[in-house]
Amino acid sequence: MANSQAICTSFKQEILCGIHAIGTTVVRAGTTKDTIKAALYLASASLGAGTTAYSGTGEVSGANYSAGGATVTNANEPATAAGIAYWTPSASVSWSNVTLGTAFDAVLFYNSTQSDKAIAVFTFGSQTVTSGNFSLTMPTNDETTGLIRLN
Amino acid sequence: MLVQTTKGLIERDQLIIKDIVSEEDNSRITATEWYLGDELVRRDVNVNVLRGLDLFPEASM
Repeated sequence: MANSQAICTSFKQEILCGIHAIGTTVVRAGTTKDTIKAALYLASASLGAGTTAYSGTGEVSGANYSAGGATVTNANEPATAAGIAYWTPSASVSWSNVTLGTAFDAVLFYNSTQSDKAIAVFTFGSQTVTSGNFSLTMPTNDETTGLIRLN
Repeated sequence: MLVQTTKGLIERDQLIIKDIVSEEDNSRITATEWYLGDELVRRDVNVNVLRGLDLFPEASM
Protein backbone atom coordinates (compact mmCIF):
# COMPACT_ATOMS: atom_id res chain seq x y z
CA MET A 1 0.00 0.00 0.00
CA ALA A 2 1.24 3.50 -0.75
CA ASN A 3 -0.04 6.97 -0.26
CA SER A 4 -1.30 8.96 -3.21
CA GLN A 5 -2.02 12.65 -3.41
CA ALA A 6 -5.52 13.64 -4.46
CA ILE A 7 -8.38 15.98 -3.85
CA CYS A 8 -10.64 13.72 -1.83
CA THR A 9 -13.74 12.64 -3.68
CA SER A 10 -15.86 13.15 -0.60
CA PHE A 11 -14.67 16.77 -0.48
CA LYS A 12 -15.88 17.36 -4.02
CA GLN A 13 -19.33 16.09 -3.14
CA GLU A 14 -19.36 18.10 0.08
CA ILE A 15 -18.51 21.27 -1.85
CA LEU A 16 -21.73 20.77 -3.78
CA CYS A 17 -23.55 20.37 -0.47
CA GLY A 18 -22.00 23.50 1.05
CA ILE A 19 -20.27 21.59 3.84
CA HIS A 20 -16.85 23.24 3.57
CA ALA A 21 -16.16 26.96 3.97
CA ILE A 22 -12.44 27.42 3.49
CA GLY A 23 -13.05 31.08 2.77
CA THR A 24 -15.47 33.45 4.46
CA THR A 25 -18.95 32.11 3.99
CA VAL A 26 -22.52 33.16 4.56
CA VAL A 27 -24.91 32.51 7.41
CA ARG A 28 -27.25 29.83 6.24
CA ALA A 29 -30.84 29.75 7.36
CA GLY A 30 -30.94 25.99 7.71
CA THR A 31 -29.87 22.71 6.25
CA THR A 32 -32.31 22.59 3.35
CA LYS A 33 -31.21 22.76 -0.25
CA ASP A 34 -30.96 26.11 -1.93
CA THR A 35 -33.39 27.03 -4.67
CA ILE A 36 -31.77 26.78 -8.08
CA LYS A 37 -33.24 28.67 -11.01
CA ALA A 38 -32.67 28.77 -14.75
CA ALA A 39 -32.93 31.88 -16.92
CA LEU A 40 -32.67 32.21 -20.69
CA TYR A 41 -30.44 34.75 -22.42
CA LEU A 42 -30.40 36.38 -25.82
CA ALA A 43 -27.76 35.41 -28.32
CA SER A 44 -26.55 39.00 -28.09
CA ALA A 45 -25.77 38.72 -24.36
CA SER A 46 -22.31 38.12 -22.94
CA LEU A 47 -22.60 35.42 -20.32
CA GLY A 48 -19.70 33.14 -19.56
CA ALA A 49 -17.15 32.17 -16.94
CA GLY A 50 -17.03 35.78 -15.74
CA THR A 51 -20.73 35.84 -14.88
CA THR A 52 -21.11 36.14 -11.11
CA ALA A 53 -24.85 36.45 -10.59
CA TYR A 54 -28.19 36.51 -12.33
CA SER A 55 -28.97 39.78 -14.09
CA GLY A 56 -31.91 40.83 -16.16
CA THR A 57 -29.55 42.38 -18.70
CA GLY A 58 -29.72 40.33 -21.86
CA GLU A 59 -32.41 38.02 -20.51
CA VAL A 60 -35.17 36.98 -22.88
CA SER A 61 -38.60 38.53 -22.58
CA GLY A 62 -41.92 37.66 -24.03
CA ALA A 63 -45.39 36.32 -23.36
CA ASN A 64 -45.54 33.87 -20.44
CA TYR A 65 -41.86 34.20 -19.59
CA SER A 66 -41.19 35.76 -16.18
CA ALA A 67 -37.95 37.60 -15.50
CA GLY A 68 -35.66 35.40 -13.44
CA GLY A 69 -36.68 32.28 -15.28
CA ALA A 70 -37.95 29.05 -13.80
CA THR A 71 -37.22 27.10 -10.64
CA VAL A 72 -35.23 23.95 -11.26
CA THR A 73 -36.61 20.69 -9.90
CA ASN A 74 -33.95 19.32 -7.60
CA ALA A 75 -34.68 15.93 -6.13
CA ASN A 76 -31.16 14.69 -6.76
CA GLU A 77 -28.50 14.81 -4.09
CA PRO A 78 -24.95 15.38 -5.31
CA ALA A 79 -23.29 12.01 -5.73
CA THR A 80 -19.89 10.53 -6.56
CA ALA A 81 -18.52 7.83 -8.80
CA ALA A 82 -15.05 7.13 -10.14
CA GLY A 83 -13.64 10.03 -8.16
CA ILE A 84 -16.04 12.55 -9.69
CA ALA A 85 -18.76 14.43 -7.85
CA TYR A 86 -21.78 15.28 -9.97
CA TRP A 87 -25.26 16.74 -9.88
CA THR A 88 -28.08 17.11 -12.37
CA PRO A 89 -31.58 18.57 -11.95
CA SER A 90 -34.12 15.80 -11.57
CA ALA A 91 -36.48 17.06 -14.26
CA SER A 92 -36.48 19.07 -17.45
CA VAL A 93 -36.74 22.83 -17.23
CA SER A 94 -39.59 24.10 -19.35
CA TRP A 95 -41.75 27.02 -20.28
CA SER A 96 -45.23 26.61 -21.77
CA ASN A 97 -47.03 28.70 -24.35
CA VAL A 98 -44.26 31.26 -24.54
CA THR A 99 -43.30 33.60 -27.32
CA LEU A 100 -39.61 34.43 -27.36
CA GLY A 101 -39.19 36.26 -30.63
CA THR A 102 -35.60 37.39 -30.28
CA ALA A 103 -32.97 34.72 -30.79
CA PHE A 104 -31.60 33.21 -27.58
CA ASP A 105 -28.86 30.65 -27.10
CA ALA A 106 -27.97 30.35 -23.43
CA VAL A 107 -29.31 29.33 -20.06
CA LEU A 108 -27.88 30.47 -16.74
CA PHE A 109 -28.31 28.23 -13.72
CA TYR A 110 -28.08 30.28 -10.56
CA ASN A 111 -28.68 30.06 -6.84
CA SER A 112 -31.81 32.01 -6.00
CA THR A 113 -31.34 31.43 -2.28
CA GLN A 114 -27.79 32.82 -2.19
CA SER A 115 -28.26 36.26 -3.71
CA ASP A 116 -28.76 34.87 -7.22
CA LYS A 117 -25.13 33.80 -7.47
CA ALA A 118 -24.21 32.19 -10.78
CA ILE A 119 -23.53 28.48 -11.12
CA ALA A 120 -23.09 27.66 -14.79
CA VAL A 121 -23.89 28.85 -18.29
CA PHE A 122 -24.88 26.42 -21.02
CA THR A 123 -25.14 27.42 -24.66
CA PHE A 124 -26.98 25.83 -27.56
CA GLY A 125 -27.91 26.67 -31.13
CA SER A 126 -29.77 29.98 -31.39
CA GLN A 127 -33.56 29.59 -31.15
CA THR A 128 -36.87 31.41 -31.12
CA VAL A 129 -40.19 30.16 -29.81
CA THR A 130 -43.60 31.21 -31.14
CA SER A 131 -46.72 30.52 -29.07
CA GLY A 132 -45.11 27.25 -28.08
CA ASN A 133 -43.15 25.32 -25.50
CA PHE A 134 -39.46 25.46 -24.72
CA SER A 135 -37.79 22.72 -22.74
CA LEU A 136 -34.30 21.79 -21.64
CA THR A 137 -33.98 18.06 -21.18
CA MET A 138 -31.30 17.19 -18.66
CA PRO A 139 -28.51 14.71 -19.32
CA THR A 140 -28.19 11.41 -17.50
CA ASN A 141 -27.22 12.07 -13.90
CA ASP A 142 -23.91 10.25 -13.66
CA GLU A 143 -20.19 10.92 -13.55
CA THR A 144 -19.87 10.98 -17.33
CA THR A 145 -22.70 13.22 -18.43
CA GLY A 146 -24.11 14.91 -15.31
CA LEU A 147 -24.90 18.59 -15.64
CA ILE A 148 -22.19 19.71 -13.22
CA ARG A 149 -19.19 17.52 -12.56
CA LEU A 150 -16.20 18.09 -10.28
CA ASN A 151 -13.34 15.96 -11.56
CA MET B 1 -57.19 18.10 -31.55
CA LEU B 2 -56.88 21.83 -31.11
CA VAL B 3 -53.46 23.45 -31.13
CA GLN B 4 -52.60 26.80 -29.57
CA THR B 5 -51.13 29.13 -32.20
CA THR B 6 -50.60 32.79 -32.86
CA LYS B 7 -54.05 32.68 -34.47
CA GLY B 8 -55.67 31.09 -31.44
CA LEU B 9 -56.80 27.49 -31.28
CA ILE B 10 -56.66 25.72 -34.63
CA GLU B 11 -57.50 22.15 -35.57
CA ARG B 12 -54.30 20.16 -35.98
CA ASP B 13 -55.52 18.82 -39.33
CA GLN B 14 -55.29 22.31 -40.78
CA LEU B 15 -51.63 22.70 -39.85
CA ILE B 16 -48.49 21.55 -41.60
CA ILE B 17 -45.86 20.32 -39.15
CA LYS B 18 -42.14 20.42 -39.79
CA ASP B 19 -39.52 18.99 -37.42
CA ILE B 20 -36.01 20.40 -37.58
CA VAL B 21 -33.32 18.44 -35.74
CA SER B 22 -29.84 19.82 -35.26
CA GLU B 23 -26.82 18.51 -33.41
CA GLU B 24 -24.51 20.67 -31.36
CA ASP B 25 -21.39 19.66 -29.47
CA ASN B 26 -23.26 19.14 -26.25
CA SER B 27 -26.90 19.10 -27.24
CA ARG B 28 -29.48 17.89 -29.70
CA ILE B 29 -32.14 20.41 -30.61
CA THR B 30 -35.56 19.58 -31.98
CA ALA B 31 -37.66 22.48 -33.27
CA THR B 32 -41.22 21.78 -34.33
CA GLU B 33 -42.73 24.37 -36.62
CA TRP B 34 -46.45 24.58 -37.28
CA TYR B 35 -47.65 26.31 -40.44
CA LEU B 36 -51.08 27.52 -41.46
CA GLY B 37 -50.55 27.72 -45.18
CA ASP B 38 -47.22 29.50 -45.53
CA GLU B 39 -47.47 31.28 -42.19
CA LEU B 40 -45.57 30.07 -39.13
CA VAL B 41 -48.12 30.06 -36.32
CA ARG B 42 -46.31 28.06 -33.67
CA ARG B 43 -42.75 26.98 -32.90
CA ASP B 44 -41.72 24.63 -30.11
CA VAL B 45 -38.14 23.84 -29.16
CA ASN B 46 -36.58 21.11 -27.07
CA VAL B 47 -32.90 21.28 -26.21
CA ASN B 48 -31.64 17.91 -25.08
CA VAL B 49 -28.46 18.53 -23.10
CA LEU B 50 -26.33 15.50 -23.81
CA ARG B 51 -23.47 16.26 -21.44
CA GLY B 52 -22.94 18.78 -18.69
CA LEU B 53 -19.79 20.66 -17.73
CA ASP B 54 -16.65 19.63 -15.89
CA LEU B 55 -15.34 21.97 -13.22
CA PHE B 56 -11.80 20.84 -14.04
CA PRO B 57 -12.02 19.53 -17.61
CA GLU B 58 -8.28 18.95 -17.90
CA ALA B 59 -8.53 16.37 -15.11
CA SER B 60 -10.66 14.13 -17.29
CA MET B 61 -8.33 14.25 -20.27
